[in-house]
Amino acid sequence: MHFAKKATLKVASVEALPLAIAIAAYGVSYGVLATQVDFNVLTAGLMSVLVFSGSAQLVAVGMLAGGAGIASVILTVVLLNLRNLLYGAALAEGLAPAGKWISLLAFGISDEPFVLASSRFKKVGPDPFYFAVVAGIFYIAWIFASLTGAMIGGELDPQKFGLDLAFPVTFAALLVPGLKGKPIIGTALAAVVITLLLEWIRPGNELTIILTGLLAPLVGLYLNRRMGHE
Amino acid sequence: MSSQWLLIIMLAAVTYFSRILGITVMAGRKLHPVIRLYFNYVPTAIIVALIIKQIFVPSNGHLVLSLPVLAACLAGGLSILLVKKFLPSVVIGVVIGILVRYLL
Repeated sequence: MHFAKKATLKVASVEALPLAIAIAAYGVSYGVLATQVDFNVLTAGLMSVLVFSGSAQLVAVGMLAGGAGIASVILTVVLLNLRNLLYGAALAEGLAPAGKWISLLAFGISDEPFVLASSRFKKVGPDPFYFAVVAGIFYIAWIFASLTGAMIGGELDPQKFGLDLAFPVTFAALLVPGLKGKPIIGTALAAVVITLLLEWIRPGNELTIILTGLLAPLVGLYLNRRMGHE
Repeated sequence: MSSQWLLIIMLAAVTYFSRILGITVMAGRKLHPVIRLYFNYVPTAIIVALIIKQIFVPSNGHLVLSLPVLAACLAGGLSILLVKKFLPSVVIGVVIGILVRYLL
């Protein structure tokens, strides 16, 4: 292997490792939760192989647990995936030298690779190989962790081990560290109010999540704008 | 079974589509800052909606507060602030939820 590539491989691996451990933790949770909505090890693993998105997969199984249908799950995931447009747009230049391989690299775009790759591109310029290594490590971690979680989840008695509680708690643990700054906190509080209002009007309705996802961020935008004028 | 496969394929398709669209069509374009912020706030809103829907469960056309779920979420949320580790925080939240469920 070319010396420069070897060096990149090393840097990418070292930088990806701590995040890979975090991703594996999410993967185990996803796998356990997927078995609670009747996925088996094969289908839970297959979703990780084909989708490779922690947020999309966790939200999908979370919604299925609440009795949502396929259409509302897909609509919500489309909404959730909007930020991939931002990531793709921001990473395009740094990945451009990959040429025709870019459509393969695109599969690796998500929160964590975006964070690592954008700081790398800022430092050294375009570096598709770095991105490929990072995304590859995360992909392997995600798949193995999902399979592990699905195998554990399949063996446990859901009620006895409180696995039904694992859904909301997983989302709470995902949510809380990100609650920083007025606009985000405002979005979260608005989401509480909107969800309760929609559920109060029609308990258990399918549109609650997607409508909340569309409307609550407007409150965040409003707060952000007000902060800018202070 | 077949609906699971359909779901997996559709999730894979819409997710990949958002990625490839970003890197090709959106490449080099500067998105309006307001749109960027909006996209960044969406996941928070969706996650909150998912949590609230599980704390308040519909029962006979009414919403009922589930104390075990509420306690589990609060414990899980507090734990991640204190412990800063994901899986241990989930386990702590679930254990507190089970305790509340059996004590009430």
